[in-house]
Amino acid sequence: MEPKHDLLKGSSNSLLLCLLEHQPMYGYQIVKELESRSQGYFKFKEGTLYPALHRLEKTGLIAGKWEMLPNGRQRRYYLITPKGQAKLAEEKTRWIDFFTAVKLILQPESSSI
Amino acid sequence: MTLDLSQYLESIRNSARLDQSEETIIMSELEAHIEDKLKELTDAGLSRREAIRECLNQMGNTKSIARQIYEAYSQGSWKQVLLAALPHLLFGLLFVLNWWNHPAWLSIVLIAVLVTAFYGWSHGKPSWIFPWMGYTLVPVFIGGLLLLYLPPGWSFLAAFVYAILAIWWLVRVIVSTVRRDWLFSSLMLLPLPIIIGWYLALSPNGIFSDETLQQLYKFSPWIGFSFMGLALTIAVFIRLRQRWLRVTLLAASGLLTLCLIVYHSTGNVNNLAFLGLLFVLWGGLLIPPLLERRLKNSRIK
Repeated sequence: MEPKHDLLKGSSNSLLLCLLEHQPMYGYQIVKELESRSQGYFKFKEGTLYPALHRLEKTGLIAGKWEMLPNGRQRRYYLITPKGQAKLAEEKTRWIDFFTAVKLILQPESSSI
Repeated sequence: MTLDLSQYLESIRNSARLDQSEETIIMSELEAHIEDKLKELTDAGLSRREAIRECLNQMGNTKSIARQIYEAYSQGSWKQVLLAALPHLLFGLLFVLNWWNHPAWLSIVLIAVLVTAFYGWSHGKPSWIFPWMGYTLVPVFIGGLLLLYLPPGWSFLAAFVYAILAIWWLVRVIVSTVRRDWLFSSLMLLPLPIIIGWYLALSPNGIFSDETLQQLYKFSPWIGFSFMGLALTIAVFIRLRQRWLRVTLLAASGLLTLCLIVYHSTGNVNNLAFLGLLFVLWGGLLIPPLLERRLKNSRIK
């Protein structure tokens, strides 16, 4: 079977934008959410999440802000920007077209019915 | 925080080579992530020691994380490209337009270099400042040349004082730059072999004479184009993300320009002058990383 991190590599930006679509999240929460929503399929080296988040922040697709917790610790939450939402919509369309095309090849019978 | 975790974070910090502000953000995030992870693992029943080992394993290799962080931050904007290439463009224009012999234009460019370098140095040393820093060494170089015209009795003492001051300034600038990133130090020193190369090409005996001046008029456009070539190199350097590509670019660009200078002035590249300049070039590229390693080792001790 193909290593899962190779699949994640090309789609990490879309997955991160998708996770942040409905609510702001911090790094650790993103890792847990990704793992739980993919039922453990997407597991990766957690330290590599932050370069990916900062890359998205630099391109203006997400924005980070510090929030103080009741226990005095700080957490950096990430939220999707309007530019990020537009990009996500574009990416979703591309993924759906891609899945449809792959399905037509893998399951031609069921697709033609 | 335990020694293992501190060493882990320190290793990422050292290899990522970020600005102070960027470094604070990402290191705080990694630290918070590790604390959350440790809590999860100890709550699941692991001992503190086992939890640390598992946590570091799940976080990933420090070199790989640092490389990705570096690549996330390394690419400069087009504004930074313009600012970084500007000193080379200004010096290039001075020679292409043959304005280098107008004291007013020369003074304007030198003052612009000194003011910009001082501003950038005192405002967080952004990456575009390092090409400007290289040109602050030009007055030091000119000062050394002027010593050749002192009366015989003064030359030894003046050369001694000058050598100490020049070396002190050079070392101070290089060490401060290397503390940020040795690659910026190499970027700063890149014009040095080009300037020395052109000087030796115009005046092989090292004395600036009337003949040198005539040669300077003749070669002026070519000198200007070599500085324009440097400007192009810097522009590409600022836009590149990968560190190995940046190192390759500096080495290849320096080598190509030296080949052109030596070939243009002597008709071939198979001579001692080229070999000497090659040593200066490789010195400019290799001394900073060696110095960085030495500074790191002395800090650890």
